[in-house]
Amino acid sequence: MSPPTADWIQLHDRFYRKQEIYTMLWKQVDLSKYMIAAAPFGGPLALVRDDRKVLLLQKQQPIKPSIYLYTSSGKLMETISWDKGHIVGMGWTETEQLLCVLEDGTVRMYNILGEYTQFSLGKEAKDNRVIDVQFWGTGLVALTGSFQLIAITNFDEPRPLFLADPNINEPPHSWTVIPPKFTLSRHVEVLIAHNSTILVVDATEARDERLQQGPFSKMSISPDGKYLALFTSDGKLWVVSTDFQKNLSEFATRSQVPPQQLVWCGTDSVVLYWDKIVLMVGPYGDWIKYTYDDAIFLVPEIDGVRVISSDKCEFLQKVPDATENIFKIGSTAPAAMLYDALDHFEKKSPKADENIRSIRLELSDAVEACIEAAGHEISHQYQRSLLKAASFGKSFLEIHNADSFVEMCKILRVLNAVRYYEIGIPMTYTQYQRLSPEALIDRLISRHQYLLAIRICEYLKMRTDRILIHWACSKIKKSNDDEDTICRMVVEKLANKPGLSYSEIAMTAHKAGQSKLATMLLDYEPRAGDQVPLLMSMQEDELALVKAIESGDTDLVYHVILHLKRKLQLGDFFRIINNKPLACNLLESYCKQQDPELLKDFYYQDDRRVDSANLTLMESFRQKDSTERINKIKAALRLYQDDKEHTFEAKAIEDSIKLLQAQVQLEKDYSQPFSGLSISSTVYKLITINQSNRASKIRGDFKMPDKRFWWIKLRALVEIRDWDGVATLAKSKKSPIGYEPFVEECVKAMQFREAAKYILKCDAHLRAGLFLKIEAYQEAGEQAFLQKDLDTLREIRDKCPNAVIQGQIDGYISQLASSR
Amino acid sequence: MSTSTAAAVAAASSPAQPTGAHLGHTSLNIDSLRDLARKELVNVLDSDHGVEKIYHLQPGPLETDCKNLIYICRPQVNYMKYIAEHIHTHTKDSRSGSYTYSLFFVPRRTALCEKVLEDEGVFGEITKGEYHLDLIPLEDDVLSLEWDSTFKELYLEQDTTSIYYAAKALMRLQGIYGLFPRILGKGDYSKALCDMMLRMRREMAVDDLDASQTMQLSQNIDSLIIIDRSVDMVTPLCTQLTYEGLIDEIFHIKNSFVEVDASLASAASAPPGGAGSGSGTQTAAAAPGKKKKVPLNGGDKLFDELRDLNFAVVGGLLNKVAKRINADYEERHNAKTVPQIRQFIVKMGGLAAEHQSLRLHTALAEEIMNYTMTDDFNRILEVQQNVVAGIATNKEPEYIEEMINKQAPLVQVLRLLCLYSLVNSGIKPKQFEFFKREILETYGFEHIQTLENLHRLGMLTKQMTTKNTYGLVRRSLSLIVDEVNEHAPNDISYVYSGYAPLSVRLVQCVVQRGKDNKPGSGPSGKGSGIAGGNGWKGFEDVLRMLPGRTFDETQRVDDGQPRPSKRMNGQPRVSLVFFLGGCTFTEISATRFLASQEGGQRDFVICTTQILNGNTLVDSLVQKVPDLHASA
Repeated sequence: MSPPTADWIQLHDRFYRKQEIYTMLWKQVDLSKYMIAAAPFGGPLALVRDDRKVLLLQKQQPIKPSIYLYTSSGKLMETISWDKGHIVGMGWTETEQLLCVLEDGTVRMYNILGEYTQFSLGKEAKDNRVIDVQFWGTGLVALTGSFQLIAITNFDEPRPLFLADPNINEPPHSWTVIPPKFTLSRHVEVLIAHNSTILVVDATEARDERLQQGPFSKMSISPDGKYLALFTSDGKLWVVSTDFQKNLSEFATRSQVPPQQLVWCGTDSVVLYWDKIVLMVGPYGDWIKYTYDDAIFLVPEIDGVRVISSDKCEFLQKVPDATENIFKIGSTAPAAMLYDALDHFEKKSPKADENIRSIRLELSDAVEACIEAAGHEISHQYQRSLLKAASFGKSFLEIHNADSFVEMCKILRVLNAVRYYEIGIPMTYTQYQRLSPEALIDRLISRHQYLLAIRICEYLKMRTDRILIHWACSKIKKSNDDEDTICRMVVEKLANKPGLSYSEIAMTAHKAGQSKLATMLLDYEPRAGDQVPLLMSMQEDELALVKAIESGDTDLVYHVILHLKRKLQLGDFFRIINNKPLACNLLESYCKQQDPELLKDFYYQDDRRVDSANLTLMESFRQKDSTERINKIKAALRLYQDDKEHTFEAKAIEDSIKLLQAQVQLEKDYSQPFSGLSISSTVYKLITINQSNRASKIRGDFKMPDKRFWWIKLRALVEIRDWDGVATLAKSKKSPIGYEPFVEECVKAMQFREAAKYILKCDAHLRAGLFLKIEAYQEAGEQAFLQKDLDTLREIRDKCPNAVIQGQIDGYISQLASSR
Repeated sequence: MSTSTAAAVAAASSPAQPTGAHLGHTSLNIDSLRDLARKELVNVLDSDHGVEKIYHLQPGPLETDCKNLIYICRPQVNYMKYIAEHIHTHTKDSRSGSYTYSLFFVPRRTALCEKVLEDEGVFGEITKGEYHLDLIPLEDDVLSLEWDSTFKELYLEQDTTSIYYAAKALMRLQGIYGLFPRILGKGDYSKALCDMMLRMRREMAVDDLDASQTMQLSQNIDSLIIIDRSVDMVTPLCTQLTYEGLIDEIFHIKNSFVEVDASLASAASAPPGGAGSGSGTQTAAAAPGKKKKVPLNGGDKLFDELRDLNFAVVGGLLNKVAKRINADYEERHNAKTVPQIRQFIVKMGGLAAEHQSLRLHTALAEEIMNYTMTDDFNRILEVQQNVVAGIATNKEPEYIEEMINKQAPLVQVLRLLCLYSLVNSGIKPKQFEFFKREILETYGFEHIQTLENLHRLGMLTKQMTTKNTYGLVRRSLSLIVDEVNEHAPNDISYVYSGYAPLSVRLVQCVVQRGKDNKPGSGPSGKGSGIAGGNGWKGFEDVLRMLPGRTFDETQRVDDGQPRPSKRMNGQPRVSLVFFLGGCTFTEISATRFLASQEGGQRDFVICTTQILNGNTLVDSLVQKVPDLHASA
């Protein structure tokens, strides 16, 4: 067993190591002849012949190019035969879908099994061709022949978005993108090397950073988006912060030729690749050089670089701190002491005890450090010995929470399983932490590694539903068996998973043209709501609606209703809706807001006359022209007249027509607006414009009750302060509303003198209170005395400001009190 | 690089009100609910963080310098139309350049809205997302969905969307606090809600088997009582007589904020708990006529003391508090030594806040007083109390007629008239026709529709039978209590000065039964747990007279045994009361009063679809017509 430090190389004050992970399974692949795209997190490689490079035509090679998908261990997963035009660029999404961008702006998105969907970058891309493209996990930016930038920021709903015009007229020396999650604005930014400077372009503007150090022939953003590595034409490597505020390092490579690849290794060193030469440059200008026999390809990861060569896959990374502390030669860190102690223990040397004693206080930390270091090891052997050391140290501790130990053991088991060369996902502990187990499971599913995925899920106590559903779907797609057999097979496997959703599986069957199978499977779906989409696409319209109603989710009901409305003839549509009250109610309330014409049809076919009538009536209120308005009202009237139950409404509507006609006349006569007013308001308004006779006429026409008329007249006269008018009204005959309102309206208008005129006409027991309101204390007192109302008298006395009157009231009070 | 972002928020709810400091003090930890909502809001905004401006979503074009617009609104058709209008004006105006639009639906995106966006031709322009905010904690003991239109939607249009949302929200509560061991309820829609919850629980087993298996019966919530608004339409029509109720009647409290004259509010320019920054009203100067939003919640200690009291005693209490604060200030003269002075200074911060709150509430109380002193108010109140108490004279219909003749606001008239109709099982045919005619001729013929709406809801009907169900209910549940001591109330009827809200009385029947079978006669004995209790047993006759079904469901965990929830020592049991279709502030106060009678043995948490009062309820049913002259 070689010492762990054998492959370490010192770069200034830190160590780097390059470990071989796989011997490639592929045979004789000359990487220099291919255009390559590799997915991060130990993801797959996509290779397609680079049609700009000359290739010796070989016998076994087909003329038509293919895209080859390999695992990181060089195992061929899929061959996609390529029949379209020139591929401008390839990249991987976060969910391991391969993107191929074509010259004409078409983007194809392949899953690992070669199934694809496609979308276009739009007209500009088509007309001016795409000349280059850059990717990040959730989006891409394409550069067109007219030097415009088009971004896609969401592959689920791809919508081409133009970025600001960078205003350049020659291809950039190099360019790159800063993914949205790293920018201040949370929108993608593009860096373009133009002349000797860099342009920063986003959706709204292109800003010149006014640099002089260019032209920059290569650039690369660090994995955390904070730094930018640039390669200048005079062979200098320059690292700056992405806001160009901080100058971090400069390094002269003495190479006039720009490197083929410039990538970051973690966040503190940069790796450059020229033909067969790899140069790693640290932040303090130190460097390491590696040479290769063949062409290689560098895959940047968040914590290192994967180096793919024709015969191996290696991982180059900074040695993690925990590992360094333990294995560095001469290290006296507690964890190193612990590791050493285990060694002595196994050799039965008493030094073991000495070691443990010396780190007694830090033992707990040492244990944790060993656990962490184990996580960073690729070699099973070192994983084991580090965990053993941790476990050894643990036994000296009285209280120690073993969770992290157990957790790490689990993670390592999972990682070792996926790193196995047949699976070929060389994921590090750091990457696993970043990616999450769920995402790892998804990757296994998309590779159809169902068994491993299920095992991992069960091991980590995660839900296996997704895996089973995916399995069932692909089974259905691939199987040639008859529908009953497939159904039985699927149901058997899924039987002991009571909560599993069958709708997606059924949907797959339906799409594969196996409708019978779909129906059979759908019966197993426990949720009414989830059956709906499939039932709709299976043309089971009525059943879909029934199920939607059953689910209680009104929006789902709307979903079906709107779908049916689009699809069916009106008659059929109503026939399905009619006997379902909730569907009817929802349709009604939708129509009221969005489609009144449909509502009319709906009411008509269901013979809902009152509703039809009211709808028509309400429409009339939106008609500005009075003739139109009257026509509408008449239509409503006809509908009401059909119904014997609604004679009252019919009569009212007749009146409303009469009123409107009268109002039209009034508007002509007085050139003032009247329409829209009610009968009472019309009368009121006529009185306020001194047209009492006209008011009386309207009153007569509509047989307005006396009481109401008096109230209206009184209030209208008070409003125009026609006190004589009020007096005349009061005298005209015995008031049907009494005289109290006269007093009160005058009081409200602050006309106490006017009010006083009517108090004596009111009921005797009210008079005192009314006088009090107009601050006539003496009169109030007299009235209260007459009524023998002691309480009111006291109240008056309290309020009265005049001492003389107070005395008088005191007199009344004592008189009354004595007479009791 | 500043790519500016603006958010347009529909006024339906303002979830990010920084007024949550008052929450989190009861046995049910509402905090967890709030944190969930808050975290998600950050997620919503973080996709484009750095919001520069906030606009209220309104009809008409949106003029802004920001190029990234985030809309946050309810999935309602009218909002979609506003947004479409914004986009159309932006695209027409070539100068404005390109905008990006994001739309977050609260609580979820709907097919309906997407269809409208499609019809308007803007579907493709917008990135859509969801913000799953359902129950909003207004107080420690009040959670509301804040769906303002629920009443009309549910009862008039019979659109059951709100039941679905309510069920979802309750499921979420169960997810946080555990299964409710018992669900009781009255009313057909209550039953529908209960059924939907039970079904969702079954389906949840499908979504997440582990979660449903591990879901335990709630530790402290022992029951959910659902009251359907249609069971008790009388209560919201009555004038609320508590302090908070009257503020609502007069100023209308919206999302726990009240809009008052700036001059009134200036007394409390920085109310405790902080004013909503979302509305931007903070800057509004106290110019006359300007309106200002003031938060009303339990963070304001004084308000917390006053809110549930009958208004009659508020004046005296304010007076007392004023005297105390004054005395506290005077203490400064006694502070002689440096430590004493320091102590006083520390105390002074609290005093200033208290003082400010005192000023606000004195001003509010004064405004309310002015209103309650008017003849009109008192006559309406008298009529209303006579009607509810079943004192039948000619005066009540006569007064309603007079109100119409005086062209009093239609909502006020209808409130009384509906009350009159509901209590008397309808209005005598001749009178009924008379009132309908009076209303149409005085307020306009468009109200044919208004009357039709009220008729459909059974709020304004022709008397068909002389049997007076309401009278029977009133008697058997002692809804009318003659002797009310507002200062030391002994029954929930204090909130309406003598009328006990039926809805809360029904809740009382469940929690206080077994004591003397006659609620309303004051506190007595400690209630036993509801989970194993008798529910509404003994009140079947009354319940049968009320509309809708009665139900009583027990939720079990998988071992099949309904276990009485183990109670942590000293922790009171909690009953969740869900008012489907909305509740009033008085009902909240009355429910709190029930809790106070339980001597710390039981707490209530009130959930509702929205908070309403007679005005908002009736107004939602009144037919509106465009004013032709205004637009001409």
